Amino acid sequence: MKRLRSIAIHVLAAAVVLAAASPVQALPVFARKYGTSCLTCHTVYPKLTPFGEAFRRNGYLFPGVDSDYVKQETVPLGQEANKKSFPNAVWPSTIPISVPIAVGFNGQVMLYPDKTASYSRVNNGSQVVLDNATLEAHLWAGAAFTDTITSWGELTVNTAGGVAIEHAQLLFNDLFGPKHLFNLVVGLGLPTIGSFGPHSSYIADQLIPNVPVTGIYGLSADPFVLVDNYPGLELRGTYEGRIEYALGWNAGKNSWSSAFNSENWYAMAGFKLGGMRLDGEGSTGAEDPLKPWAETSLTVDGFVYHSNEHFPDPTTATATSPPTSSTNDVSFTGGVGVRGMLGSAELDLGFYSQSHNRGFVNPSTGTFGQVTADVLYGELSYIVFPWLVPSVRIENIWLNPAGAPAVSDLHIVPGIAFLILANIKVLVVGSIELASGFPSDATGQPLSWAGPYPPAGAAGTGSSSWAPILIGPRNGATVSSKAQEFESLAFMLAFAM
Amino acid sequence: MTIRLRTSARLVAAALALAAASLARAEGGTVSGKVDVQPAKYLEETVVYLKSVPGTYKPETHAMDQQGMKFLPHILVVTQGDTVKFLNHDNVVHNVYTPDNEGYNLGSFKQNEDRSYTFAKPGVYSQLCSVHPEMLGYIFVGQNPYAAAVDKKGAYVIKNVPPGTYQLAVWNAKLKGPEKSVTVAAGKTVEENITVKR
Repeated sequence: MKRLRSIAIHVLAAAVVLAAASPVQALPVFARKYGTSCLTCHTVYPKLTPFGEAFRRNGYLFPGVDSDYVKQETVPLGQEANKKSFPNAVWPSTIPISVPIAVGFNGQVMLYPDKTASYSRVNNGSQVVLDNATLEAHLWAGAAFTDTITSWGELTVNTAGGVAIEHAQLLFNDLFGPKHLFNLVVGLGLPTIGSFGPHSSYIADQLIPNVPVTGIYGLSADPFVLVDNYPGLELRGTYEGRIEYALGWNAGKNSWSSAFNSENWYAMAGFKLGGMRLDGEGSTGAEDPLKPWAETSLTVDGFVYHSNEHFPDPTTATATSPPTSSTNDVSFTGGVGVRGMLGSAELDLGFYSQSHNRGFVNPSTGTFGQVTADVLYGELSYIVFPWLVPSVRIENIWLNPAGAPAVSDLHIVPGIAFLILANIKVLVVGSIELASGFPSDATGQPLSWAGPYPPAGAAGTGSSSWAPILIGPRNGATVSSKAQEFESLAFMLAFAM
Repeated sequence: MTIRLRTSARLVAAALALAAASLARAEGGTVSGKVDVQPAKYLEETVVYLKSVPGTYKPETHAMDQQGMKFLPHILVVTQGDTVKFLNHDNVVHNVYTPDNEGYNLGSFKQNEDRSYTFAKPGVYSQLCSVHPEMLGYIFVGQNPYAAAVDKKGAYVIKNVPPGTYQLAVWNAKLKGPEKSVTVAAGKTVEENITVKR
């Protein structure tokens, strides 16, 4: 038992470092392209204004005719008139006169006020950790080839030596029919399961928290989560500026050594009442010209997501040899989200329920069992000044493994985000956890909420790599023990240019 | 002054007045103004013209060069029946073709060679080079010679317009503008400003 806990705790320590991989999305390359400030699309980046959300939904295109707003010189690879000669001439397009790349860096200083809290407990009682003060460098690329075909990508390098292509997508917008209705996205990216950008939070890395169920229960080292980068296809669009949809198909997760059919699919639909249209067309401006981000609106969306994840079957492993075959876990998720905006105040609320058919190994039978993960999240923010936004965020995760004790974790994340300059951001975030029980391993011993797996990339538990859900069991704890901890205080610094 | 001298002076004055009036009629009037292009970056590809002016116009020959991988001038304004000689002053092979109106392809030709084309129909002909798809020029073929491309400030001047009432129109490669009725008087200048946009 002591050995198992030691493994879990050491993994937890690793998780905190590895989970710190944190994509901070903002693309100064677009600022250069349009000759406009970051604040046209962002408040405190990566949070988008209603206009920025419209720009993102439109496939990184301005409302109207995108090229009308482009100030950066472009090189034509074929003139518009060539369309008339097609197929005897190449379809016209352009590339920017300079390489459309922006760079950014981010990292965080971590304070652990309570020496007995999970991280300090397994890291020599450390309370101030500068190890990740500079953690990542990002290269962002974004460009329009035509007024309808665009691209964007992100390459992230971290100080641990990891290099990852996080996004690389081609967006074929306005394929046919009414404008903005049919857009095809091809490549590696985040699935659209909500009306807003995946990083639409002031104090978290992503709006919708992740629950890596097969990771938490120690089955997969690269577990499926909702918000992660997957290669695939997505058809999405908006209708009349008020209704939105997305349909996607992607590769999902497979940590076994050979390929399987790609069986992950998802669908999302939503609508918006009041405020700027979803596509930003015909905007008459904000009610208060000094507060271009403010509006009175209500946006509601819902999604379903089917995943078939493959991983090495841990029940086939022995003490001396790795698993000899693979297994799979099929999950189905249904969720809803709501955003209400009243001037500079914003409230996000969301809930999803995710059922897994083989999400854990039941300690009493030694066989795979069903797990249901229910997740409730909310974030309240108020833009005091265009550069200062206090927020509070709450996430609650319930895990209900069939035939084993249910557990829950309440994660409270107060924080304040502010800009030193439009492209230099500071984030101060606290992390408080109240756990009621701990997930169990295959022998019935309690595991950390971060699980015993190293979360490769950013797929940690919760929504913030700088304030992840990680509370672990203390000596003598069982799967039914309760615990409360002030986990951490993070000072995050990011800049982009 | 004798009576004969006074009479002679009157005759000379009358003859001068008659000549001046006749000259004014021959010169016609002027239409000028400024085009406000929104967005301004599309200003360069703008021509202001009179839509229909009766008359027969003597065919002329113009030149459009290909130099530095560009069509020069970027916009050439000609009249129906005129001929354009396409030059090549680059040390690379160029081609000239257009997919517009009746369409033509003048083939490929090397440095210091040229090709000609006579424009029988009014219209706007984009000039493309199949060897270098980024190259673009325009030839605006008017029904009459009363047309002018705007300058870098958006100003245009159409001179020697026969007195009369005409429709003033504007062409832009991406934008649209209104037509206006203008009445031109001999020796006078009519000012008309135009806005073109989406």
